[in-house]
Amino acid sequence: MDERELIARVRAGDGAAERALYDAHVDRVYRLTYRLAGDDELAREFTQDTFVRAFERLGGFRGEAKLSTWLHAIATSVVLNGLRKVKRFRQRETDLDEAATTSAGGRAAEPDLKRRLAQAIDGLPDGYRMVFVMHDVEGFTHDEIGATLGIETGTSKAQLSRARAKLRDALADFAGEWVS
Amino acid sequence: MTEDRFEERLRQAAQDYHRPPATPREELWDRIAAARQRRGIVIRPALRWGVGIAAVLALGIAIGRWSARGGESSTLPAVAAGTDQGSTLAYRVAAAQYLTRTEALLTGFRAEARSPSVPAAQFATQARDLLATTRLMLDSPAAKDARLKSLLEDLELVLAQIAQLPSGGSGDREDVQSINQGLDQRSVLLRLRTANPAGPGPVRTQGAL
Repeated sequence: MDERELIARVRAGDGAAERALYDAHVDRVYRLTYRLAGDDELAREFTQDTFVRAFERLGGFRGEAKLSTWLHAIATSVVLNGLRKVKRFRQRETDLDEAATTSAGGRAAEPDLKRRLAQAIDGLPDGYRMVFVMHDVEGFTHDEIGATLGIETGTSKAQLSRARAKLRDALADFAGEWVS
Repeated sequence: MTEDRFEERLRQAAQDYHRPPATPREELWDRIAAARQRRGIVIRPALRWGVGIAAVLALGIAIGRWSARGGESSTLPAVAAGTDQGSTLAYRVAAAQYLTRTEALLTGFRAEARSPSVPAAQFATQARDLLATTRLMLDSPAAKDARLKSLLEDLELVLAQIAQLPSGGSGDREDVQSINQGLDQRSVLLRLRTANPAGPGPVRTQGAL
């Protein structure tokens, strides 16, 4: 069954088609929400909200974008608003300069690198973090990111470049480790 | 370290960033179903229509009753008159939609009755939705009109018969023929069309309504 037919059947109230749509997209939505939320319960809540809204609004889906893009747009909006509401985002946020200072001088063990990297990613501004996670972690293309976040492809590329630059600064003391 | 090498190592290391576990598909699906049920958005399209009509009809009846009580008071004549007009319009719109829908169902049913296999489940579902509205209609000002009340009672009987057709597949031929004969003998479709003449919205209400 192609996407258009699936959507038509969901709109007609076909429960099996709803489940098929869910099965086709839930993995990527859950992965994305988990990566951005960093918390299983939040990721479940965001995934749930994404599909509830999607089923509610599918009647208004005009097919101008791919269904996956439309779903990911809902998911990223749910995640951003959700994280702001629960203030988890701010709690996780670690100032990049502070992150760089705390480990300066010590030899970087692999677990420490991962922890530092996670802190540095958490500390990125919303837009940079979103683009970095979607592109470098979840493998979205810049076109997909642009369509999902409603930004130009060039903006997505620029934000990724800036995100990487900030991470490079934050992880400067690991540079030698990575070269070897 | 070159920029390319840094980016490559960064991507590798970032794979552990908030690494998600396996998707809890069934649990999530249950949560979504429960959330949708709480929000009341799981309504079959056919039922959606019935709920809408029933709501408008109930509103019309409620406003009608309220304005009838208000009409007895001399303190709010203007409001009562205005509300009565609103009530009449809401009632007429709902009733016209109900009659149109019922006519469409019965016309379709008669046409399908000639075919070897009647999609009974589909007709039964629509009939059940319309049956609830029929009962609301019988409780509305429409029931004061003897002609319309008689029609509504016949419609209630026919819709109840269709609603009880076996949902497992095509309807039993004898049941279908019996319903069809009832429609003919009581001239239900003819009376329905007389009560609800064809035409755009407001024109339809010029029959019995």
